[in-house]
Amino acid sequence: MSLKIVVCIKQVPVSNNLKIDPITKNLIRSGESGVMNPYDKNAIEAALRLKDEWGGEVILLSMGPADFEMTLRQGMAMGCDDAILLSSRKFGGADTLATGYVLAQAIKKLGKVDLVLLGRQSVDADTSQVGPIVSEFLGWPQITFVSELTGHAKKGMTATRLLENMQQKIEFQLPAVVTVRSEMNEPRYPTPRNIQQSYKKNIRIWDENSLSVDPNRIGLKGSPTVVRSVWAPIKEAKHTIYLKGTPDEAVRELLIQMRASNLL
Amino acid sequence: MTDQEIWVYAEKHVGMIQPVTYQLITKAKEIANDKKVVVILFEATDKNLEEKIKEFGPNEIVVVKDDRLKDATDSEIASLMAELADRRKPNSILFGATVVGRSIAPRLQAKLNTGLTSDCLNLAFDDDLLIQTKPSYGDNIMCEIVCPKHRPQMASVRPNTFEAKKDLNQSVIVTKINDLFFKKAERIKIIEETPLLSKSDSIANADRVIALGRGAADEKAVRLAEELARKLGAKIGVTRPLTDHPKFSGDDQIGQSGNTIAPKLLVNLGVHGAVQYTTGIGSAELVVSIDKDPEAPIFNYSNYSYVGDSVSFLESFLKVIQ
Amino acid sequence: MSIELTQSQVMLHQMVVDFTDKEVKPLDRLIDKERNYPAELWDKMIDNGFLGLTIPEEYGGAGFDVIASSQTIYDFAVRNASMAFTLEGHYKSVDQVLNYATDELKEKYLPQANHRIFGFSSTEPQGGSNVMGHTAKAVKEDDKWILNGNKTMITNGGLAQVYCVLLKTSPTELSCFLVDEDMPGFKHGKREKFIGMNGTPVGEIFMENIVVSEDHLLGKIGQGVEIGDNAHYDARISMGAIAAGITEHALTIAVDYAKQREVKGAPITQLYSIQEKITEIAIAKENTQLLYQEAARLKVAGKSYAKVATMAKSYGSRASYAAADHALQVLGGYGYSQEYPVEHLIRDARALQLAEGSLEKMMIEIAKEVIDEREESI
Repeated sequence: MSLKIVVCIKQVPVSNNLKIDPITKNLIRSGESGVMNPYDKNAIEAALRLKDEWGGEVILLSMGPADFEMTLRQGMAMGCDDAILLSSRKFGGADTLATGYVLAQAIKKLGKVDLVLLGRQSVDADTSQVGPIVSEFLGWPQITFVSELTGHAKKGMTATRLLENMQQKIEFQLPAVVTVRSEMNEPRYPTPRNIQQSYKKNIRIWDENSLSVDPNRIGLKGSPTVVRSVWAPIKEAKHTIYLKGTPDEAVRELLIQMRASNLL
Repeated sequence: MTDQEIWVYAEKHVGMIQPVTYQLITKAKEIANDKKVVVILFEATDKNLEEKIKEFGPNEIVVVKDDRLKDATDSEIASLMAELADRRKPNSILFGATVVGRSIAPRLQAKLNTGLTSDCLNLAFDDDLLIQTKPSYGDNIMCEIVCPKHRPQMASVRPNTFEAKKDLNQSVIVTKINDLFFKKAERIKIIEETPLLSKSDSIANADRVIALGRGAADEKAVRLAEELARKLGAKIGVTRPLTDHPKFSGDDQIGQSGNTIAPKLLVNLGVHGAVQYTTGIGSAELVVSIDKDPEAPIFNYSNYSYVGDSVSFLESFLKVIQ
Repeated sequence: MSIELTQSQVMLHQMVVDFTDKEVKPLDRLIDKERNYPAELWDKMIDNGFLGLTIPEEYGGAGFDVIASSQTIYDFAVRNASMAFTLEGHYKSVDQVLNYATDELKEKYLPQANHRIFGFSSTEPQGGSNVMGHTAKAVKEDDKWILNGNKTMITNGGLAQVYCVLLKTSPTELSCFLVDEDMPGFKHGKREKFIGMNGTPVGEIFMENIVVSEDHLLGKIGQGVEIGDNAHYDARISMGAIAAGITEHALTIAVDYAKQREVKGAPITQLYSIQEKITEIAIAKENTQLLYQEAARLKVAGKSYAKVATMAKSYGSRASYAAADHALQVLGGYGYSQEYPVEHLIRDARALQLAEGSLEKMMIEIAKEVIDEREESI
């Protein structure tokens, strides 16, 4: 049985070390183009390993401006077969809900998709919302923060999901949405030869006319949240508290603090 | 507008309410003004976790008891929450920004067609509007986010951001609900849950690290530290001089020419705190340091400091946590 | 970065940075100490297609130009100079096969060059740069060539499996042959005990009655000097890239240290004596990079690049040595310690004044070109 796998990826800034313009109070974006969200590489690697095992195709899907092309090509240079960029002025200003909606509509348009993979979260906005939102719109099971994925494409798969202080084993059948932790694998590099060849492949661009979308649910219009302001936080130096008394007394005091911080 | 409700989703792991739930109750009460703080608890019929929650004094606990909730999936919980939200129209719903919270909340968000802000570090109300402060770009930028036109307003909050305070004076209403439609999730089943201590081999990704420096380099200190590391599920890291110790190598080194670490807990034993070392620990959350030298610079990078002998401290630690 | 890279070159650059940060950087000091590359590292290099970077796509390579390959060498050199040096030795040899081999030989050897390391060999024990004093020779018998003699100081000697070798085909003529370590009569000799560039083996080869078919001759009979010169000019672009990489490495170490080292409560970056050294290193890096990138740009544009390439090497070789020395001074006593990663930069950089032609030879060549090109305006 061959699998049709979609991997949703995002381009993020090269560095998180952004500055705020002191006058306009807006983010100063560097001229440098972005890089692929690191967790998305793990999702691509997971997809390519499943493809190696079961056959099929891996399709990349991303929503963003035209310069996201580079990240899609990088995914193809890792070995993905096809790439679609959801790009339109109308999609602009989307929050996670509007993004998840458009991604889900694109996956529906592709049809007969068995598995959707995403990185556990993006390293810029850090929301981890898009995976579950896409799952809900597709009406599929979601398995988030997965560190291990095994099984038979037809008979069902098993995922290990890592939570803060426990792990779950989850059995599921396709189609499903899985978000991937970096613990799952070591992503392959796009090789120089595949990089060259990725530039010979075509990237399909879909806009709101290519998809069946409700115009009120896309872009700024379809986004319930509004960013009112941004600022740079002030990092405070640590203020140390001296533990007093004998080592026993000091340890007891420390353990009280560790319990309060949920470390024990 | 006294009928407005702030909901807190009660998260539990292996039968225990998670501390973040209590932290959220306390914070919600602080900012509620005249709104009611309502905890939503899903549990199996043999459990009474509402009794623990009562100690933190929400106005109400809504309990849904059903044995199918023993190992419910994200989508099942989200469906039940959506049904409840349809009935009671809360002003806002708060989750812990844990794996579970960050998985259920967005699924619910999509069902309710509303906004959600993840991983908040602060919450406040401006009349009915929930002002959500969230870090972005790896905590380099803070954003103030609101959801003006959709209800409920949803947020998840980073654990240990707020302090939980017990409030035994509040009279708590417990409302049991047993007429929800349980939409069984298809094609997915949680088959096993196991506790987890250490989840990573690399010291760079470790959640707990015990670091040894020149002041804790003898055989006894190393042996005791290894024993404590096993008990706490921690990894052992070392300063540069200890990379020559037969047990350690450059892979275990913390600092400028070694690993940068970001554990939730870092215990420095006999580490003096040279800059080459402290540049590698800037992202550690709770830092505890033990060193004989009261002037050791490491104390300036520590939440808790103890001036004394590392071996005695280790012996006490192992004795007390027995 | 001053040169405009194409989109695929930018992606390559990102990939190389990612790869070298993860796979090479952590091994920098180990490679120096062990005088070798870990075997897994070479497997990863080959699996990820670094040997085929400049080989045309029809031969299974990636077909990148010298702008991309010198950028790649630079990116490697920032993390470990000898890794870059070994790649340089391979690329310049592959380039000569590409330019001078018959189609049949290209069909046979270029696909192999994606996973076998190539080397270029001209120096002999008896004579340095005066190739006409060489004794190793090729003698034609019917439609075969019989190869005999010893070669020394070969970059990648012992590591490489295929060599371009300059041999005398008459007392006044040098020709270039492709020799495979699998050929009967081929033997690797000892490895030089150098003080730096410790990952890259430099060694000798022995040829005893090696019989090769006519098509193992690269180019024409007597074209050896030209092929050798071309290999040298290509190598000088790469040498500039290695020098710039070492200089950048020195800059990173010096700045990181200076930011954290405090004197009387203030970081030493506030001291003019430290700022001056950091500035010297930064200027050296920028200059060297501009020179090798300009040489690469000229080569891609089909223009004469020998002079600028030679400048990149001669300037870069001294500037990187001085930069590593400045960095040592910034670190003070720590810089002089073998436990800090500066001293090996000095030893590595020193090689660049010798390899691919001595500094003095570079100076003479540049002087000749500069003087010649001005003759007419007098």
